[in-house]
Amino acid sequence: MHATIQKPIDEISEYLKPGERVFVVGCGNCAAKCHSGGEVETKEMAERLKQKGVQVAGWACTGSGVSLCKLSVTQKMLNEDYKREIEHTDSFLILACGQGIHTVMDATDGGMVHPGCDTIFGGETVSDDFITEYCSLCGECIVEYTGGLCPVTLCAKSLLNGPCGGAKNGKCEVDRNRDCGWQLIYERLRALGRLDEMDKYVMPKNNSRWGRPRSLTIGEGEATFRSLAGDRKVASHA
Amino acid sequence: MSKLRQALESGKFVVTGEIGPPKGVDLGKCLQDAEVLRNQVTAINVTDLQSAVMRIGSLAVSARLVERGLEPVYQLTCRDRNRLALQSDLLSAWALGIENVLCLTGDHPALGDHTEAKPVYDLDSVQLLKAASSLNQGYDMAGHELESVPSFFLGAVVTPGAEPLEPQVIKMKKKLEAGARFFQTQAVYEPEKFEHFMNQVQGFKVPIIAGIVVLKSAGMAKFMNSNVAGISVPESIIREMEETEKENRKKKAVEIASRIIRQVKPFCQGVHVMPLGWDELVPEIINEAELGLRVRILGEEV
Repeated sequence: MHATIQKPIDEISEYLKPGERVFVVGCGNCAAKCHSGGEVETKEMAERLKQKGVQVAGWACTGSGVSLCKLSVTQKMLNEDYKREIEHTDSFLILACGQGIHTVMDATDGGMVHPGCDTIFGGETVSDDFITEYCSLCGECIVEYTGGLCPVTLCAKSLLNGPCGGAKNGKCEVDRNRDCGWQLIYERLRALGRLDEMDKYVMPKNNSRWGRPRSLTIGEGEATFRSLAGDRKVASHA
Repeated sequence: MSKLRQALESGKFVVTGEIGPPKGVDLGKCLQDAEVLRNQVTAINVTDLQSAVMRIGSLAVSARLVERGLEPVYQLTCRDRNRLALQSDLLSAWALGIENVLCLTGDHPALGDHTEAKPVYDLDSVQLLKAASSLNQGYDMAGHELESVPSFFLGAVVTPGAEPLEPQVIKMKKKLEAGARFFQTQAVYEPEKFEHFMNQVQGFKVPIIAGIVVLKSAGMAKFMNSNVAGISVPESIIREMEETEKENRKKKAVEIASRIIRQVKPFCQGVHVMPLGWDELVPEIINEAELGLRVRILGEEV
């Protein structure tokens, strides 16, 4: 899931020119889980903006569990369900992640967009009120060697070959309330009886796989990942 | 061949020192600190933006030491440079006459004075050692051949007081396999714990230089105990400091440092004295530790 947090309303107000008519768009999936842009927050935002004297053309949110970042969904919602409101709007305020923002641009043939949220990380929804990051989307998964725990994400320095000397009582040097990622990896591998994994030399990351923007093309029984490292085509059931 | 390499490879006991480059462009005081160490130590570490505080670089200061006939240990961290810059700085170092390189991860920018800086860590310390070893073999990380080849004497660090110790030992082994030819340790205040560590890594057969941080006050000890990883100053030493009048602190600092040196000397192949500004005490510490003149300059048979 893409975690997002709403921008302060004063910052959002500053984006809007006097007299600009804005349509508020939310996402029923990730942003709803983050309470940053589900149906409730989207409606609320429309009302708060009205109270601030902003001209609100309307608001819409994808259905519960439905992602705004699926273009066909957003196209239908905006161009069919909210066709009339859209005709009278100058811009869109998106309460969703950066992917959602772009989806609205695509759905509205390049409509003017404003970000209503900061996209903060991709994470696991641990509970209804806690989401945390376990993956940095690096394009080259190495958790086979670390018991499933990602050092790129859990270590403040993204070290691949073991801990630095900075941890104290199992806590990271950048914040003594934060677990040392390598302490967690060490404890997990020990518990699994796989400490030998820590002896293995892990090569430097191929950062070109992190080279943005990246894309995935899905074909019949195969998929192609495109990055600065070139195309990586993999058959899904060969 | 560097004097440090000669001494360590022939199995001698060495003393090394350390200077910290200033925040500014005047190297006067820093080079003066280095002068105090002349004829006292085999080599002088030059720290690389220690504690992630922006200052003049270790490469420039190391080169100045070379000019003056002093031997640097050029500290190089992974914090601020990607693999292009790390390899390039290594080549620059060799061209400037620097042979000893200490490869470190580097304190996180969050600990320093530019907390919003992007932490780089494109390589970790093991990978940096491997890259430097590859340069020694005549190839860069991409496998391209160098037109001319350096011959660095590579070092790394280890924290003997880490708890748990096992991950440190695992990483130390990886550093060794990646090309580290000597190790410097985090500050040692508990010789028994250090002995335990040395027993664990005996099989590595690599020179280990014990870190000696000159203790300036009880406050400093308490600060390190709660903030610095792998350091625990025993209560008895803290009390010793507390019971010392302010004007006698330096004398006490010399006494404690030289005592620890005498206690760890049988287990290791050298001591790395970090005076943290009290550079003028280093000769006295070495003297009281009963390390003769010959040891200071050439190392001593062990």
